[in-house]
Amino acid sequence: MSLKSKLSQGRKKEKNDIDNVDYSLLVIILMLLCFGLVMVFSASSANAHYVQGDATYFFKRQLIWAVAGLLIMWFVSQFSYKKIKQYANLLFTITIVMLILVPFIGIKINGARRWLGFGSLTFQPSEFAKLTLVLFLAKSISIFPGRTKQLTNGYIRYFIIIVAVAGLVLLQPHMSGAIVIAMGGVAVLFAAGYKIRYFVITAMGALPALLALAIMSPYRLKRITSFLDPFADKLGESWQIVQSLYAIGSGGLFGMGLGQSRQKFLYIPEPQNDFIFAIICEELGFIGAVFVIFLFALLIWKGIMIAKDAPDEFAALTATGITSLVAVQVLMNIAVVSSMMPVTGVPLPFFSYGGSSLVILLIEMGILLNISRYTKKTR
Amino acid sequence: MVELKYNIKKRAPIITLISVIVFFALIGRLMYWQFIKGAELKSGAIQQQTLDSVVSSKRGIIYDRNGKVLAQSISVQTVTASPAEVKKSGKADEISETLAKILGKDEDDIKKQITKNSSYEIVARKIDNEKAEKIRKAELKGIYLIEDSKRTYPYSSLASHVIGFVGTDNQGLNGIEMVYDKYLKGMPGRMIRSKSASGTEMPFEYEKYINPENGANLVLTIDEVIQHFVEEELKQAVADYDVENGAACIIMNAKTGEILAMATYPDYDLNAPFTLPEDIEKELDELKGDEYDKAYSERLNKLWRNKAVVDSYEPGSTFKPFTAAMALEENLVSTNEFFSCSGGLQVNDYYIRCWKSGGHGQVSFAEGFENSCNPVFMNLGARVGAERFIKYYKKFGFMDTTGFDLPGEATGSFHSASRFNDVEIATSSFGQTFIITPLQLITAYTAITNGGVMVRPHIAKELVDDDGNVIKKFETEIIRQAISKETADTIRDILEGVVENGTSKNAFIRGYRLAGKTGTSEKFPRGNGKYVASFVGFAPANDPEIIGLIMLDEPMGESHMGGAIAAPTFKKIFDEVLRYMDIEPQFTEADLLITDKPVPNVEGLGISELAKAFGGTGLKYNILGKGDTVVSQVPKGGATLAEGSTVAIYTEKVASDTVVVPDVKGMTATDANITLTNAGLNMKVSGAADTGQGSATVSVQTPEAGTELQRGSPVSVEFSFSNVH
Repeated sequence: MSLKSKLSQGRKKEKNDIDNVDYSLLVIILMLLCFGLVMVFSASSANAHYVQGDATYFFKRQLIWAVAGLLIMWFVSQFSYKKIKQYANLLFTITIVMLILVPFIGIKINGARRWLGFGSLTFQPSEFAKLTLVLFLAKSISIFPGRTKQLTNGYIRYFIIIVAVAGLVLLQPHMSGAIVIAMGGVAVLFAAGYKIRYFVITAMGALPALLALAIMSPYRLKRITSFLDPFADKLGESWQIVQSLYAIGSGGLFGMGLGQSRQKFLYIPEPQNDFIFAIICEELGFIGAVFVIFLFALLIWKGIMIAKDAPDEFAALTATGITSLVAVQVLMNIAVVSSMMPVTGVPLPFFSYGGSSLVILLIEMGILLNISRYTKKTR
Repeated sequence: MVELKYNIKKRAPIITLISVIVFFALIGRLMYWQFIKGAELKSGAIQQQTLDSVVSSKRGIIYDRNGKVLAQSISVQTVTASPAEVKKSGKADEISETLAKILGKDEDDIKKQITKNSSYEIVARKIDNEKAEKIRKAELKGIYLIEDSKRTYPYSSLASHVIGFVGTDNQGLNGIEMVYDKYLKGMPGRMIRSKSASGTEMPFEYEKYINPENGANLVLTIDEVIQHFVEEELKQAVADYDVENGAACIIMNAKTGEILAMATYPDYDLNAPFTLPEDIEKELDELKGDEYDKAYSERLNKLWRNKAVVDSYEPGSTFKPFTAAMALEENLVSTNEFFSCSGGLQVNDYYIRCWKSGGHGQVSFAEGFENSCNPVFMNLGARVGAERFIKYYKKFGFMDTTGFDLPGEATGSFHSASRFNDVEIATSSFGQTFIITPLQLITAYTAITNGGVMVRPHIAKELVDDDGNVIKKFETEIIRQAISKETADTIRDILEGVVENGTSKNAFIRGYRLAGKTGTSEKFPRGNGKYVASFVGFAPANDPEIIGLIMLDEPMGESHMGGAIAAPTFKKIFDEVLRYMDIEPQFTEADLLITDKPVPNVEGLGISELAKAFGGTGLKYNILGKGDTVVSQVPKGGATLAEGSTVAIYTEKVASDTVVVPDVKGMTATDANITLTNAGLNMKVSGAADTGQGSATVSVQTPEAGTELQRGSPVSVEFSFSNVH
């Protein structure tokens, strides 16, 4: 066989292996997205009406971002994920530069400098960092498979990189972003097969570090004390969490009905953002909340399956990383809303209002869909 | 490569497992909040999300028996402020200035109030809609108007002691407003509204709206017109007879116990019940601080006292019919028995005098009544004895309240049975040494007017809803049969005689058969010159329909005698009331003699036709002049003259045929009539008179003596009796 025919044969074989995207995953993504849009509208309408003077203010914007994000997702899912691997280092470098720039030219909102851009066109580099760190790690580990066995040259090297990125985000300050980034990165390392004791030791070291961080900053300490007894100071520090719990408690089994939330009427500040899950609980009850959790579980399970059946190391680690990012954010968001952990601003994927995080999320989903086309089906 | 795949395959289940555990933990946490803590959280949420406000109910209207409005609630506005919002607007100065201008209050005071550290302030209560409209138009930030209601009394002081008034919260505080509060006030509703965190309303259906139930409207048995007559006359009497401690009057339907009028004078303005009249307020000028406050509230409480129900007094002679009834009922006296009055009676150690020094001599049972002779009743009392006296005293209801609707009813007080001996019996038999309320007395009189059956006085007629449907009727209640019908009727007939012939002559109303009894009692301590003059009467005597009582407390004028001051006032009231109530006059023969007759118009008639024209008119005529036809007549056709009067008929034109009015004052009716007729004039009787009796004399004549009048003109004369008890 000539080289040319070998090549064409290979290409043909490759083409035959490429399936369409995993439709069940696509359906889950679309369901979450549509559900999210509906809830953004429901949760934001009162706030939008009173503050913006237009009940559909947030919904319209989120809809535009969702449509744009879907197109980007489709685009990302269509070319070979290997192209993404090619650009992984470049994207990561750009992200680091942006993260370094944030403290200098970033836009300050509510005491934190997290945004880049101008006017109404702003985005959070930390959102990019979540994805690009995963891509960078996946690429690096897949290029140097030997490092998965090495502690210093492997685990510690990558761990330092993860801590560096998370540290930059933490400086903004953006604690929750840093945690998500770190968890995403660590998940990639875990999937790469590093010894489990490394992770246990890391966790044992991280907890005191996090505690120290909390104690050093008075506002974080307050959040922790208010978490321990939310009702002690329900008009002050715990206002948000108490209002969130009122919403959840009001929901009961079946909820007050879609659109019937009382708590969205300025009780929960910006109900379309980080506390949107409380509104879901209030309006749709336990049934609705479990349904949302179930959709996320399906998505995560799908992500893990895609990672397991991925055609190569990069794809497997990327899928794991992306899935972990979603999982960690869902977990942290619901944990905050239901007062299982101190309040920290983590958006609920697909649901919370926010353009840049939604677009990044859909890019991640595009990559996941992309990889799903290459999985080895065990029919 | 194979080895690497092994890694992810090995780690995937671990990641899956961790995810599953985490998700179950999340679901578990949600279950904790939604099911275990659900109710608690939900109530917390509802508490902060809702605004529970009272929707006030409309207070019922109070009507008189003919549907005239005596009390009603009108819609007014109360101005409230939300200081937080006022401060937030940054326009506290402008807002206070505008409010001060509209409300007529001090700007600084308002500013202080609306910028207070509170969530809610009442700036002004119950302002009228005109001012409210101005405030509404000014669109002041943080200033709100709340619908409220205000009680108004269209007749201000009319029946003030009966109707009572309400407090600022529309709670009845006195009189009918207090007693029937539960019907009038209705049930306030509740509006539970959803409220956003900023306090504005959420666009949800009301979570709960409990309709307010409007109060029922109360129809009283009071007749505004009669009440008005009564109050005017009481006021007049208080002024004329210098009554110091107020006066009271009750007019009641004798058959049903419905109170037609109940008045106490002085009265007060129901629209400002907490304001003392200026003259009383002046008495307090010197006082300060607590002393002033104490005196003020004492005066107010006195002003609010419904004397007719609350004040007890010695009934005096008005009680005598009951002593007589006891004796008759027990067959201890016969109506044709004679008594002798020597001007007093020795009872044990006491010599108890008759009011007439020298005594009445031999008097019949009825005459004793007519003259109000004390020894007659002391005799009767002695025959009845302590035990029976107390038995009947109880039967007539003097030891109980009457069960009347208005508050504060007193029971008076009587001798204890063990100390009710001969002297006490003697004095009690003519109505002294014990006290009762006017209401108890008038109620006992219903036994006399109703054939022995006492009816319960009441002032509420019925409750009606806004569409006029009757919700509840307050029926006539019978208290008991106190005495037999025969006894009652006998006393009733004798009381008519008292008005016709006796001490109550000054209450005589021409055309009506009135019965009644005067009373005069000296207040404790004896000898202080303070008396209560009273009169109880009813009409028509043969079938009593209305019964009335008047009591003048401490008259300090020329006379303090019931017959001299209470009876005339009573007469004026009953005269008006009987006519107003369209009670058919029953003329006695004596009355008919002086019945007014219309004068026929005979101008232009021939002399021969006059006899026919005057036929049956009861009038005479006197032809003056030599013509054949009547040129003019005095009085003119259509005027009225007393029967038997003479009309002057002129057959020639006369320039002037005047006569001088003679002085008839002090003359008896017969003498006056002769004098006037001789002078060529006609007598026209007005006011009380019984020309058949010799004792009445002319007290007023119009025009005065010396005036020139055309021949045949009527001269009005008024009679009164001077020698009455």
